[in-house]
Amino acid sequence: MAGKRRTSWVVWLRRAVQTAFLLLFFYLFLRTAYYPINRIGGPVTLFFQLDPLAMLTTWLASHAVAAGMLLSLVTLGVTVLGGRWFCGWICPFGALHNLFTSLRGGRLKARLEAGGYGRWQKAKYYVLAVFLTGALLGVNAVGWLDPFSFLFRSMSTAVYPALNNAVVSLFSWIYDANPGVGPVRVTVVSEPVYEFLRRHFLAVQQPHYFGNVLIGFLFGLVIAVNFYRPRFWCRYICPLGALLGVAGKNPLVRLNKDEEACNNCRLCLADCQGGGNPNTEQWKPAECFYCFNCKSDCPSQAISFGLGKRADPAAIRPVPAASFSGKGVVVK
Amino acid sequence: MIGATIGWIKGFVKPPKEARLDLRRRQLLACGATGLGAAFLFHTHPLGRKRSYNPDLVRPPGSLGEQEFLSKCIRCGECMKVCPTNGIHPTALEAGLEGMWSPVMRMTIGYCEYECTLCTQACPTGAIRALTVPEKQKIKIGLAYFDKNRCLPYAYARTCIVCEEHCPTPKKAIWFEDVQVANLAGEKVMVKQPRVDPDLCIGCGICVNKCVIKGQPAILVSSVGETRNPDNGVLLQSTNPYGG
Repeated sequence: MAGKRRTSWVVWLRRAVQTAFLLLFFYLFLRTAYYPINRIGGPVTLFFQLDPLAMLTTWLASHAVAAGMLLSLVTLGVTVLGGRWFCGWICPFGALHNLFTSLRGGRLKARLEAGGYGRWQKAKYYVLAVFLTGALLGVNAVGWLDPFSFLFRSMSTAVYPALNNAVVSLFSWIYDANPGVGPVRVTVVSEPVYEFLRRHFLAVQQPHYFGNVLIGFLFGLVIAVNFYRPRFWCRYICPLGALLGVAGKNPLVRLNKDEEACNNCRLCLADCQGGGNPNTEQWKPAECFYCFNCKSDCPSQAISFGLGKRADPAAIRPVPAASFSGKGVVVK
Repeated sequence: MIGATIGWIKGFVKPPKEARLDLRRRQLLACGATGLGAAFLFHTHPLGRKRSYNPDLVRPPGSLGEQEFLSKCIRCGECMKVCPTNGIHPTALEAGLEGMWSPVMRMTIGYCEYECTLCTQACPTGAIRALTVPEKQKIKIGLAYFDKNRCLPYAYARTCIVCEEHCPTPKKAIWFEDVQVANLAGEKVMVKQPRVDPDLCIGCGICVNKCVIKGQPAILVSSVGETRNPDNGVLLQSTNPYGG
């Protein structure tokens, strides 16, 4: 966080909610297994049922939709009314990108430059357009880039098998070496830990999947590019984010900037996740994840979110040309 | 209140500058052309021909007919995670580029467990439809066939009954013909040569998985005869007493 201000409680609440949904995702992932009868251990497809993109392309391509996927209409409705909260608060892939984005270091100036809106953020809408028109002719390839498909597929075929292998190898190595002093051996501690992991987290048998290297590489890539731009996947690629951006482009919950209080320091960009330009009068609801970092970072308390003040074509004042440039923000 | 609602709807339909996505018409048309062009291109892949099927593309039980399957599968990997035998894998290009990362059975790694329907329960979009165990046990996902150049009784005049022992159908889909053959010493010996009954075999692949010849087993499963694509048939008329 930039500045000396204490992090706002809304940001802590958002982090708690994100953590909860990320853990729920991992929990449901682990429950997607034989448990121990021929019945799945819970609503393991919950996140796919909340996914309006998968619902829409499946409907366009096959003219039918699984009943459970109608739950995604709730996501769509909430977004139309309130904005892209889903990306900032619910999406587990978003939470993961958020986590890695927060590991970014760098000088404040570089962070301010990376935080602003860039025109390449439109790329995701074009990605969405390609998948939707393809779906019209029955080609439903959206799963390549649908965030939940991407995350779950990467987890199941690459990340989880590799982690399982790493943990089993580590504990086997400890067991074989068994260092210690006299009768006090490491296995006294490591074996109960291993037993706990084996019971609750590890696979019954080491999984092996064809294609795991390519899928794992792509997963590593989209995680790594968070160090190039904050939440790179969410800003530039995610077709679900694009769909929610289209749906939530003029929401009821809006960012209000107190022009009198704002001193144009642009610290609101330091931790901006979506690149929604909280610093200018051209706040972009379609890009905003409602992460509230801008509100939290603002030293003059000029930013607030609230109902109303919804966009009325006539009420928008002309934007000063100097405050916004296409390539990001000029820091003085 | 009503006025505000109407104002908001107006703002949504014809948004002010700040709410616009600023997409260019020309780029959007290019994207549309890309999507449509890709679809037409995919459909002219040889697998898009009528009655053209990849024998290696054995899908999990309950999978819809190939075209409908591809229109519903979102390649999420739920079926791959849930399969207790590790038998379901992401395709590379077996289903064409269009079908990349959709599920395919790899019987050398796992097989379709006779009493299990987990993948049919896990599919979020219905590309694999939900099945009860009795329903699933009647569905053919493929058909087993022997490689006589590798199979012990055929190639080496040695007895082996491993595949028949593992076959899970109530009446075994693998049967034996007792044949008198000559061994290396020129002696006449009796061997049991295994055969597949195409009516009874459901293509579960446990025979492939358990075959003593590893790597490239002496019994394999191909997609021919699969229930989901009726014109990918091997028999003009099925006499399977269990349906399918």
